[in-house]
Amino acid sequence: MGALLTAEDVRHLRTGAHFLACTIDPTAIYVYAEMIEKAMENRALELISIDELAPDDLVVAIGMVTQGLFIADMPPVGDEFIGCIRAIEANLGRQVRAIYSLAAANINGIVPLMVGLQSSLPVIDSDPMGRVFPLISQTTLNIGHVPISPIALMGVTGERAVVEAHNPQRAETLVRALVTEMGGWAATAMYPCSAGQMREHGVHGSISRMIRIGEILDAETSVDRKFQQLAEFLGATRIARARVSHVEGLSRPSDLGLPALPSSVTLVDERSGQIIRLEIQNEILLVLVDGAIAAAVPDIVSLLNSEHGTVVNIDDVRVGDVIDVLKITAAAQWYSKAGLDLAEPKAFGIPIEHPRRHHA
Amino acid sequence: MRIGLRLQGTSCRALVLDGHSVVAAAAAVRCTTLAEAVDTTFEELRHELGTEITKVTDITSDAGRVLVARKPASVIAIRISPRPPADAFHVTGLPALVEPVVARTVHVGGGHDLRGRPLAPLGLEAFLAELPGILSGEVRNIAITSVGSTASKDHETRIADAILSSDSEMRISISSDFYSSVFRDRDYTAILNSALMETGEDLAAMLDASGRRHFPSATMWFAKNDGGRAPLARLAVIPIHGLRPEPAMQILGAATLAGAPDGEVVICADSGVTVGQIRGGLPATRSVIRQGYEASLASNAAVVEPYTADHPVRPAVPSVIADLRSGQDTPLPFGLVPTLAAAHDAGQVGSAVAPLTAWIDRLETVSGRADLQLVQRRAEEDAESAAVQLGASPGLTRIIESNVYAMPYGNPGIVRIRVQAAGEVSGDTIEDAAEIHVRTPFGAGEGASRWAPC
Repeated sequence: MGALLTAEDVRHLRTGAHFLACTIDPTAIYVYAEMIEKAMENRALELISIDELAPDDLVVAIGMVTQGLFIADMPPVGDEFIGCIRAIEANLGRQVRAIYSLAAANINGIVPLMVGLQSSLPVIDSDPMGRVFPLISQTTLNIGHVPISPIALMGVTGERAVVEAHNPQRAETLVRALVTEMGGWAATAMYPCSAGQMREHGVHGSISRMIRIGEILDAETSVDRKFQQLAEFLGATRIARARVSHVEGLSRPSDLGLPALPSSVTLVDERSGQIIRLEIQNEILLVLVDGAIAAAVPDIVSLLNSEHGTVVNIDDVRVGDVIDVLKITAAAQWYSKAGLDLAEPKAFGIPIEHPRRHHA
Repeated sequence: MRIGLRLQGTSCRALVLDGHSVVAAAAAVRCTTLAEAVDTTFEELRHELGTEITKVTDITSDAGRVLVARKPASVIAIRISPRPPADAFHVTGLPALVEPVVARTVHVGGGHDLRGRPLAPLGLEAFLAELPGILSGEVRNIAITSVGSTASKDHETRIADAILSSDSEMRISISSDFYSSVFRDRDYTAILNSALMETGEDLAAMLDASGRRHFPSATMWFAKNDGGRAPLARLAVIPIHGLRPEPAMQILGAATLAGAPDGEVVICADSGVTVGQIRGGLPATRSVIRQGYEASLASNAAVVEPYTADHPVRPAVPSVIADLRSGQDTPLPFGLVPTLAAAHDAGQVGSAVAPLTAWIDRLETVSGRADLQLVQRRAEEDAESAAVQLGASPGLTRIIESNVYAMPYGNPGIVRIRVQAAGEVSGDTIEDAAEIHVRTPFGAGEGASRWAPC
C-alpha cells in the first residue's frame, strides 16, 4: 500500500513542479492542482513506489505533448488521458496496472495525479526525466533502450492516433506533427513497459521530491532559509544573485524541430560586477558567468525572486528585476555518454559540450 | 489645467494641476448620491478657479473604487471550444466572487489553433437555435470566449454579430479584446467586463453630463490600471481597464511630485509598504493582474510588490519614498526615510497627469530576425496610431515599451509582440517636470472629508 496524498501535498506539488520547470506560465499547473483537489474530495489518491509493483506489471507514462496553443488556452475536456490508456491497452492486449509522469516538473509533473483519480490507477513515484525536457525522446528510458511506442495520443477535438515507431527521434517527429494538427497539445500515453524496466531505468522519488520542494518554498520563512533548505535537500547552488539588464527574443538561430524560439537574458551581479547570461528555449539551457559555463543542460536551472523566495516565471523577467539563479544537478543517468548525447547543449543547437562530457 | 478626480461610494475628491503646479486640492465631498458629490465638487472648483475655469482642458476620473463596490450585473457566458467539458472537474473555474454573476453558460463548438486555423467548425446553427432562449431572459450582458482567440477572433465576432443582429441592445464583451494566453483569464476578464459595462455606462454618462455643465471646454477621461487614461466614453465598453487604477496612479503621482520619470517608487500607506517602478514617465506594467492561484484579469496594470526587509537597494537608481499614511508621527518601517511627504494625494496627482496610453499585444509569424524587426516596427506604428485615435497629438506620442516574447512549446516562428505607446494632447509630460510647485489648496485640509450641502 502506497501513501495517500493530501490536498496539502497537491498544493506543495504545484509549487515544486513550477520550481523545477521555472516555467513560462504556471497557470496550467494551477488549474490541474485545483481540479485534483476537487476530485480528491470523494476519492483517494495513491502514490506508490515502483517496488510495490510486480516486475511484469504493465506501466505507462502519462503526459501532455505540446507544440502550439497553450494547454491553459485550450483546456482539456477531461476524457483525453483515459482514451489514451484504453488505446494502449487495446494495442498491447494487456491491462495497465499503474501510471507514471512523463516528466518531473511543469504540467507533466502534476497531470498523472488527475489521471490516477479518473482511472483509479495508482501513480508511481517515478518518471523517465527527473526534470522536464522538451522532446519525448529525451528520457532515461530511451538511454536504457526501453521502446517508446506504441504511443497513444488524443487531443481536445476528440481525435486520436496511435504511433508505432521504433526510433524515438522519429517518434518525436511524428508525434510533434500530430500534436500541431490536433491544435497545440495532445494527451499522451507512451513508454509502456514493465515495472521491472521502469525500476531499472527510471528516476525515482520524483513526485515526493516536488512535494518536498513545495513545502520548502511555500513556508513562511526567509529567502535565505529557503535557499539553505534547497541546498541541503537538492544540493542546489546559487550561481548568482543578479539584476536583469537585457532580455532578447529570437537571440539564436534555430532550425531544429524544437518547439519555441530561443531567447536570452543578461544579468549583472552588482556586487561582483560579473555578467551572467541565460540561454533559454522553453527551459533555461545554459548559464554563462563572464563567459564561463556555470550550468548547462541537463543541469536544472531555476530562478527565484531574491526578495520573496518565489519562483520567477521566465515570462515575467523584466529589466531591473533582481533574481537568484539556482543550479541543481540532474539525475545521474543524464551525465553518462548516452545521456549527454541526448540532452547536452549540442542537442539544443548550442555548439557547446557539457563540462562533464570528458568524465562521462 | 488638469483635474484628477477620485470617486468612491457617494463621495468625490478632486485636485487641480496647472502645468506641474498643484493649484487646488479639494477635500472629499460626500453627498447622498455620487452624481451630487461630483456636481458639488465641480461647483466648488468653479468657484475656486473663477475665470480660470476655461483653462481646464482635461478631467480624469479614477472610478475604480466605484466599479469594485457596485453589484456586477448578471452575465451569460458563451464559451467556444471544440468540445464541451466531459465532467464537472474540467469546467472552467472562476474566482468565487465572480462565479455567481454567471447566470447561464452556453457551449458553442469552434475555436482556433495558434496559427489561426479552425479546430472545429463554428456551431453557429446550433447557437442560433438557442439564441431566442438567451434573448428572452432578463440578462442583457454577454461574455464570449473562444479557444485560440489570441490567434483568431473570427468565432467570437461571428457569435457576437449573430446576437447583435437579433438584439442590438445587448452588451457584449469578447475575450479577444483582452490579451492573455490563458483561456480562463480571458473568460474571467470578459465576464467581469461585461458585468461592469452597465455601471461603466452610468458613470460615463453622469460624469460627462456634469463635466459639460461645469467645464464645457474640458475633455473627460478615465484613469486606467496601467497608469494611463482613456476617453470617458470607453468606460462603458472596457470598464475592466478602469477597475484598479489606484496603484498605478499612486506610483505615477508620487514620481510626478518628486520630478522623477525613471526609478523606483516606494509607497508607504496605512495598509503597508509597496514598491513599483516608473520608466519613461509611466509605471512598469504586467499584462495581467494576478490573484494568487485563481484566474488573472487580463488588463495591463502596474507591477506592485510588497516591500520587504530583503528588498535589493540600488544606490545608483533614484528612488522616491512616498509617505502617504494618514498619520506620520511614527517612523516608516524598514528604516525607510521619506523623500516625499503626503502633501497631496499622489493618486489624484497621477490621475491628473496620466497620459493617453494604447497597447498592441498580438501574435505574429516571423521567418527570421529581419522579419521580426519589421513586425515589431509595424506594431510600434500601430500602437502610436491607436494613441492618436484616442486623442493624442501625432507629434506627442512615444513608445514606452516594445517587447517580443518567444512562445514556449509554440509553433515555430510564432512570437508575441507587446508594445505600449503613450501620447498627449498637448505638452506637459512628467518628463518635463523638474518639480511640482505647490500653491495653497482650497477647502478643508487634505485628507479630511466632509458632508457637503447637497
